[in-house]
Amino acid sequence: MTNLAGAVPLTKQQQTDITRIAIKAGQLLQQHGAESRLIEQTTTRLGVALGAQSIELAVSADALVLTSLFEGRCITTTRKVHDRGINMQMVCDVQRICVMAEKQLLRAADVNKKLDKLKPMKYNRWLVVLMIGLSCASFSHLFGGDWWAFAVTFVASATAMFVRQELAHRHHNPFINFAVTAFIATLISSFGVIYQLGNRPDLAMAACVLLLVPGFPLINAVSDMVKGHINMGIARWTAATLLTFSVAAGIFAAMGVTNVMGWLS
Amino acid sequence: MDLLFLLIDDMFWAAIPAVGFAMVFNVPKQMLVYCAVAGAIGHGFRTLTMQFGLPIEWASLAATTLIGFIGLYWSRKHLIPRPVFTVAAAIPMIPGSYAFATMLGLVEMNSGGFTYQLLQTVIENGLKTLFILIALSFGLAIPSVLIYRGRPIV
Repeated sequence: MTNLAGAVPLTKQQQTDITRIAIKAGQLLQQHGAESRLIEQTTTRLGVALGAQSIELAVSADALVLTSLFEGRCITTTRKVHDRGINMQMVCDVQRICVMAEKQLLRAADVNKKLDKLKPMKYNRWLVVLMIGLSCASFSHLFGGDWWAFAVTFVASATAMFVRQELAHRHHNPFINFAVTAFIATLISSFGVIYQLGNRPDLAMAACVLLLVPGFPLINAVSDMVKGHINMGIARWTAATLLTFSVAAGIFAAMGVTNVMGWLS
Repeated sequence: MDLLFLLIDDMFWAAIPAVGFAMVFNVPKQMLVYCAVAGAIGHGFRTLTMQFGLPIEWASLAATTLIGFIGLYWSRKHLIPRPVFTVAAAIPMIPGSYAFATMLGLVEMNSGGFTYQLLQTVIENGLKTLFILIALSFGLAIPSVLIYRGRPIV
């Protein structure tokens, strides 16, 4: 039963459902750190696959506005977006649901059910602590440090990662979290300088705070701006700059306490 | 021979942070090995080109362009968005120390007073951070900007 335009007719209720499903997918993507181009493409493809004629999405830093169009009828809806931490597994799953809907393997109700069932997967926290400790220690090696620097960096950044997880778990503000974490990491690694462990103890001080570099937001910021989402790019860039600044404040406070300037001098 | 050893050492130690940060970003388990390989190739390629005298910004651009194309292949093969592999692979090249040095210089300039040496620290580190970052993320975007031009990849 098709009309002149060749589209299956949608009732108002069906169009509303499609709008809600599409924005739910967009919301999940943005909450878990997808770039704006991906959010826009995925919601549009999902909405069109489910029967809308077109989907228009406005992305902004803390909300999404989405309009679906069908035969001159528009339905618009808005959702707040709270940051829920970067989670690529969620992004993969939403993308997979979108591809399945596009191949007509899922109907609107199935897509909705699948989106509701998605649960963010998290790695075991002790494994993450171990790996981040090793990662920062590898950075100290890449900078040219010896095994002493490696060991000091490992201890400092593994402890810092533990503190960061604890604070994040208690829903502390990320700026406070990053400042406290940087303070602790720098404090621990400055003992390497005080006791002159190894050839370049100052490298450990530089490497142990690298777990706090907001790399994902910075890369997303530039790629958003390159692909035309200037607003989002600026918002992400500003957030990342503020995070970097609170890390610097934490490092500075720790350097003031121990009076070890380390890598800055 | 020295160069070969340097490269292997470099690639091995770059693969570890790529996996570590991929776990912070909750990349699915079966994709972690791709992050490690891409991280090692990217960082190794950057070190190699820098050995031949390329400045760090251009070397970063070349390395992430390479990662971008490798990621393109994997993304089409596994139907997974590209940032899942490529961002974690680029993390070992992020100029974190330069960024913190810039900010620390600013804080120091406020508390300890202005000196030309501090201003030099801030501007030099700040520009390095900015240009390396732009090179990194522009390199990752090159496949979609040059080849796909707005069409979806997966």
